[in-house]
Amino acid sequence: MRVLVVEDEKKTASFIRKALESEGFAVDVCGRGDEALAAALTTSFDGIVLDIMLPGRDGLSVLRQLRAQGNRTPVLLLSARGEVDERVEGLDAGADDYLPKPFVLAELVARVRALGRRGGESKATVLRASDLTLDTISHRAQRGGEVFELTAREFRLLEFLMRSAGRICGRMTIIEKVWDYDFDPGTNLVDVYVKRLREKIDDGFEPKLLQTVRGVGYVLKE
Amino acid sequence: MKIRTRLNLWYTAILCGVALAVIGAGVYHELVIENRPHRHHGLKSETELDSEDLIDILTWTVIPAMVLGVVGGWWLMRRALAPVADLTLAVEKINDQNLSQPLPRSGNGDELDRLTEGFNAMTGRLDGSFQRIREFTLHASHELKTPLTILRGELETALHEEPATAVQKERLASQIDEIERLAKIVDGLTLLTRADAGQIALKCEPVRLDELVRESVADAKILAQPHGVEVRLDQCDETTVTGDRHRLRQLLLNLADNAVKYNRPGGEIHFSLRQEGPSVALRISNTGAGLAPNLQARVFERFFRGDASHNSSIEGCGLGLSIAQWIVQAHRGAIQFASQPNELTTVSVRLPLAA
Repeated sequence: MRVLVVEDEKKTASFIRKALESEGFAVDVCGRGDEALAAALTTSFDGIVLDIMLPGRDGLSVLRQLRAQGNRTPVLLLSARGEVDERVEGLDAGADDYLPKPFVLAELVARVRALGRRGGESKATVLRASDLTLDTISHRAQRGGEVFELTAREFRLLEFLMRSAGRICGRMTIIEKVWDYDFDPGTNLVDVYVKRLREKIDDGFEPKLLQTVRGVGYVLKE
Repeated sequence: MKIRTRLNLWYTAILCGVALAVIGAGVYHELVIENRPHRHHGLKSETELDSEDLIDILTWTVIPAMVLGVVGGWWLMRRALAPVADLTLAVEKINDQNLSQPLPRSGNGDELDRLTEGFNAMTGRLDGSFQRIREFTLHASHELKTPLTILRGELETALHEEPATAVQKERLASQIDEIERLAKIVDGLTLLTRADAGQIALKCEPVRLDELVRESVADAKILAQPHGVEVRLDQCDETTVTGDRHRLRQLLLNLADNAVKYNRPGGEIHFSLRQEGPSVALRISNTGAGLAPNLQARVFERFFRGDASHNSSIEGCGLGLSIAQWIVQAHRGAIQFASQPNELTTVSVRLPLAA
């Protein structure tokens, strides 16, 4: 996968590049909006990480111009402002995802990877990870012959983790997808729910499937 | 005493004094000076006739003139001071939100018009200062995010890439936690500053408040469980308000989180949602240490944390209730905090029902 990172802050651009490269992406970095637009229109990228505040031309304008020219390259917007209106504005302008700064690097990587998978989500009604199964119709999970009843929220959390099995899920992503909050609730809600879920699906079983990635979020082992 | 009453009393007193002096002078003139030459001729009857005339003159001229004078003076005074009363009303309505709106001026260049002009210039300067403070906070929080992003990214890279011992990893992770906390403070500050500047538009739609309350009770139960705190929903009337769903959920989660954090182990939390007349009342009560009465008025202040600031086991940045207050007020509601230390602490929110 070839990704264009448009970020004028050199240090930020550098660790985004490092993180993406270590995950096997080919990365091009660009520090100006106008240059980024030219690059995106002439080269075919699998995804673009686009900062909003840029010299030359701001990110939203680059994005609008790109879409106006019929370019459908998936775009992940980055913004230091991180306010709801900006997120809505960005998605309206044609962005595929939005991440407020300061972001969790692993979360950025996970979201860039997800850009390439848009629309390819599994439609399966029974999800599997190792010996754990989740029936998305009856909302019941099963492991080692034991059946667990899940509350609505626990079900949505487990479903999300299982659909992203093997990939790190950042807290911010979980809050967005499972709680549908577009703000950071500033509580340890996610952690407490994960702990409860773990008591159900991992206690008394080996291997432990639901693992914590310190400072980032959680991952469900495949 | 009002200026108008005082001026009226003075004016009436002066008018009466002048009238009495005129009468006194007239009487003296008639009885003493005019009569002096007549005494030698013995024409006393003429003098009596003259003083009767005098009383007639007084009755029909001086007294009506006095009454007219007092009434006219009262009317003039009222007219002259009415703009002051209007100005007072207008000034009383000034607050930090409408400083940019000038007071209405008569434009006739009189003293009061100049006073209004002075007021407008003053509020204009105040508005400018407030705006500069808001812009400063907004810029500061924006500028802080770039170094925070870099710090966080580099620490995370170090945590996952470099061969590090368990102790080093723990240290890095703990630094990331602190950066996270700093980022939350900056986020909260940005939100409140933008709200102050009127830059946040609510996306209003009819919202079933009872559904949101049930949802936050479910979340509160999960949050409370590790502390052995019991959560109860005492009443939940089916009610609809016009509001921003995300903000209302943020409000509920904020209050629920506080009720858990400031509780005692094995304590209780009670939620109730009642329709009361044209509004809906939400009450969230929790057991726990509570807050001394002299500190209660300050709970909605930014960065006010009561005794929690000395208690590092309670996480938070001290902006939660300020944000809650902003959300409630943006929905044209009211929020109150009441606490009986070591008994119940209750936050009450009142929101208007959807029309």
